Amino acid sequence: MTTGTQPGPVLLQLGRICKAFPGVQALDGASLVLARGEIHGLVGENGAGKSTLIKVLAGVYAPDSGNVQLDGQDLPALTPALVHALGVRFIHQELHLVPHFSVAESVYMGQELQALWGLDRRAMRKRTRQFFNDVLHAQINPDALVRDLGIAERKLVQIARALIDGAARVVVFDEPTAPLPGGEAEQVFAAIRGLRAQGVAILYVSHYIEEITGLCDRVTVFRNGRDVARFEAVTAASADAIVHQMIGREIGNLFPVRRAAVGAPLLQVNGLGDGAQFSEIDLQVARGEIVGIAGLLGSGREEFTDTLFGLRRPTQGTLRLDGKLLRLQSPADAVAQGIALVPRDRRHDGVVLDMAVADNINLASLQQCATLGLLNRRRANARAAQQAQALDIRPRNVQTPARLLSGGNQQKVVLARWLAAGPRLFLLDEPTLGVDVGAREEIYALVAGLAESGVGVIVSSSDLSELLGLCDRIVVLFRGQVVGEYPAASLDIASLMTLTTGSAQAAAA
Amino acid sequence: MNLITPRLARHALPRPPQALLSCLTLGGVFVLFAWLVPPFLQWDNLRNIVDGSALLLILALGMTLIVAIGGIDLSVCIAFDMGAAFAIVALKDYQLAWYLAVLAGIAGGVLVGLLNALLVVRLSISPFLATLGTFFIGSSVQRIFTHGGGPISFREAPLEFQNLAVGVLGGVPVKVWLAGAVLLVYFVLLERSILGQRIHAIGMQKSAAQHAGMRVGAIVFAAFVFASATCALGGTIASANMQMFTPMAGHAYLLNAIAAVFIGASLRANGRPHVLGTLLGTLFLGMVANGFNLMGLEPNEKAAAAGLVLLLALSLSAWQQRRR
Amino acid sequence: MPTLNALQRHALPSLPLVIFSALLLYLALQAPVLLEPYTLNLILRQSLPTVLVCLGLATVVMVCGDDAVAGGIDLSIPASAVLAAGIVASQVAHHGTPIAWAVAMAFAAALLVGGVVATLVVLVGMTPLLASLASSVAALGITKWVVDNRRINLSEPLIVYLRDAELGGVSVSVLWVLPAVLLFYFLLHRTRWGMNLQAVGGNRDAAELSGIAARRFIAQAFVLAAATGAGAALLLLARGSGFTPGSEENLLLEMVLATYLGAAFSPRRVVTLWGAVLGAVLVSALSVGFKSIGVDIFWTGCIKGALILLVVASSALARKSAA
Repeated sequence: MTTGTQPGPVLLQLGRICKAFPGVQALDGASLVLARGEIHGLVGENGAGKSTLIKVLAGVYAPDSGNVQLDGQDLPALTPALVHALGVRFIHQELHLVPHFSVAESVYMGQELQALWGLDRRAMRKRTRQFFNDVLHAQINPDALVRDLGIAERKLVQIARALIDGAARVVVFDEPTAPLPGGEAEQVFAAIRGLRAQGVAILYVSHYIEEITGLCDRVTVFRNGRDVARFEAVTAASADAIVHQMIGREIGNLFPVRRAAVGAPLLQVNGLGDGAQFSEIDLQVARGEIVGIAGLLGSGREEFTDTLFGLRRPTQGTLRLDGKLLRLQSPADAVAQGIALVPRDRRHDGVVLDMAVADNINLASLQQCATLGLLNRRRANARAAQQAQALDIRPRNVQTPARLLSGGNQQKVVLARWLAAGPRLFLLDEPTLGVDVGAREEIYALVAGLAESGVGVIVSSSDLSELLGLCDRIVVLFRGQVVGEYPAASLDIASLMTLTTGSAQAAAA
Repeated sequence: MNLITPRLARHALPRPPQALLSCLTLGGVFVLFAWLVPPFLQWDNLRNIVDGSALLLILALGMTLIVAIGGIDLSVCIAFDMGAAFAIVALKDYQLAWYLAVLAGIAGGVLVGLLNALLVVRLSISPFLATLGTFFIGSSVQRIFTHGGGPISFREAPLEFQNLAVGVLGGVPVKVWLAGAVLLVYFVLLERSILGQRIHAIGMQKSAAQHAGMRVGAIVFAAFVFASATCALGGTIASANMQMFTPMAGHAYLLNAIAAVFIGASLRANGRPHVLGTLLGTLFLGMVANGFNLMGLEPNEKAAAAGLVLLLALSLSAWQQRRR
Repeated sequence: MPTLNALQRHALPSLPLVIFSALLLYLALQAPVLLEPYTLNLILRQSLPTVLVCLGLATVVMVCGDDAVAGGIDLSIPASAVLAAGIVASQVAHHGTPIAWAVAMAFAAALLVGGVVATLVVLVGMTPLLASLASSVAALGITKWVVDNRRINLSEPLIVYLRDAELGGVSVSVLWVLPAVLLFYFLLHRTRWGMNLQAVGGNRDAAELSGIAARRFIAQAFVLAAATGAGAALLLLARGSGFTPGSEENLLLEMVLATYLGAAFSPRRVVTLWGAVLGAVLVSALSVGFKSIGVDIFWTGCIKGALILLVVASSALARKSAA
């Protein structure tokens, strides 16, 4: 809710920025205008260009064309050091704190105050306390250790570090409240409003529309690599219009026609909770069904998916597969029970980058390639080649190290691995993150084919159109609990987005 | 969304072409010795090199397994010593048959391996610190057991036992046959079996291996036990050679074993430890020791020269191995 | 249950401290002579070489991170110490070099070793473990060559002075080492340089994002550590009245034990300077104590090894339960 403070003169202007990467035009003439003393929301779906724009501003990427102006002056090629010196500060998603440092030490990391005789700890402590008090409107003990703080307080420490030198003129917040439990976000908001009162220009990037409308004075919507709408005087009522702008035209049909042939019940989850990130989750999946799980960062979606694969242990609830109660201690147990996971961090947890494609594909089904415990290379290569052919993995040479493949092809390798192992339940976590459109279509067809062959499929994703196009049913999580379960046909992107951002609850309240 | 600057290369020096440097070094040193000391190239001498490398090879192979699975084992020399100690004690104090003595030796290694495995897998201690602890404890235990570090000798060992080390079969020393057998076993295990595939996957990306459904803990556990058992066999053969157990004799082999593995790893395109590379690394180190011997260096000069060669070889192979 | 977890997290790292204290208490009860000023002075004096090298190791661990997988360890410090000691001994005893020159040469050699390790870690990209291990081998080999792998007796005035002289009942060597400890404390905990160094070790990404040049600090730490080794060399010579081959192994053992034990003492549960120093003194007390009650020196070694494992295991388990 705006307080009626008028934003001041224009401070930062990004004009018609273009940036292309191999295969994708990330920014296509994007512009953004920031004024002093305003909180400016930046919204858009994944892939709309928000993060690329921020990286251009941070000096991480050099734009292909376009210009950046600060205080009316055209800026030269930006580097992180220059940007920092100009007073543009970034509050990343990752905290970057040292766990055993105190608050004061963390705030002053890299910019320590010195006295005649070494560090001036007293001054650092005093100024830290003052800053928190006056600017961030929070109480803090400067000697407390970072690892003993709550997440919201750590966020405040991160913010203080970026701003304590008093030279900040523009501050960019990147999804600041995503990891925060509901109540704690208010602390961060108070801090941000405090900054606004100091005349700082604030750019606030978030998926939580309710927060955006509650906090921001103005909002810019990004879609397809450029700004498509700008909202002045934002209120709660602007939410619908904002969401509408985010989605834009209908996306072309990437999704295969689903012949809903739902079979016997397969997975039964009752009251599952991990005591921290999610609780009381019920879920049923039948053979041949594709169930989607929707939820923003912080909704417990990731942790829930991990728990289904044995990566985390639940503290309450039960899990049954084909009627049998499962107690999964590790992914090895899950795989032994016929559960497969295509993980969200493909390069870390999915493909073994320095192994060949063939070896990667056979990794979960080595028994089938073995004669007396010895690897039967011919059979292994034949199996791999067959999968590569069926899934159209490029390059077709299965001896290529997985590192050299594109994201989409690496994802296909992971899928091939599990197809070769023949599981009953397939979990897909962000299956098309970082995957180009062509591969996406193929992956969707594969997933549909999987379901048709009688496997139960769960798709956990932050890509709403993907969920709507692919799944039969969608379960929505918000802040660790199930908000509702809906047939995919009964939802559209706007309504789904409303549900995932919790706006429905706010609207209902 | 990650706004971090793409990290500039943490290291300043550019990487030389794959394996080229290592091959040049190995070949270069060979040529150097051949030129400096003509007797080097004689057939008898070359056979000496092979003969003298047999024990180191056994140790280095055990080390290869541990490095392949993503760790390091500083206690291989302790397993080696246990192999010698248990075998000699079995023969001397319990009058066991020679093959039982060998089994006793291997059992000694298994004990060391179990300790390591428990520390690493059950207590989640890093392999380096865990095996360092085992190294210290093992060295102390040996000193205690021998009341100060004196050797235990047993001159009446049965002929079969002695033949393990000094016997000759078909013109080739039994020692070399045994080392060859271990080489074959490890080759099949690491490079040809599906278990080997799993081991390499764990060593490369443990998280991905775990996500692929492998029982990582069990495999790592078994690896530590098997590696130590292998090293113990080497120790048993050594004790047969000298007909005694010399405490801490294994220490001398430790760093060479590590070096052999890392030098060998640099010979492969992907920088992974592998059995044939370890063989070449072992022969290289044997060649260096032999060359220094022929040059008439005093033991202490040899120690210094060998130390420098080791440092250089490891540096070069590390330089080559750096990931993009 | 959350309470059990918290208990685990706080109790486990204290376990080594508890066991250690119990051991010391037992020893003091069994051999009251331990508490006499003479013995206390002896304990302090014996601990000095370890104290110095612990300063070096603590610095390296602080800059490279506590995580012992890719983290900080410098196995070459004892080797540097022994090399330096060997050079001093052989130069003075065999070549008649004036002590000042000999010490200068020794320092240069130690710094060279430190420089090699620094180069290998920062430029070539070796892990500290491998780099320090390899350098250690080379240094020890050269030492063997320098001293002919023999014991060298020294009756050089400086060495005797360090060994015997006392000031107000306290060994002079203690009074020499104290400023070094204070200097390191000041550098590491009271200057910007020290804070930045700790930041590099605590979270390298965070440090680099804050504009700290991580590589420079890492290199400096290794060279500094080697310098502490050189300092320890003189004390080693004093303690042993000359050069004794093979002294590096015990020094390594005590250095590792003391440094990691020290982490258990610190309120923040990380490797700190005072913790390491305290650890070194306590380890020395343990050695002297065991000797007083007649325990075999080899058993002492065994116990020290077991203690290392205990310390590391309890902190690893505590970390796991916190995750």
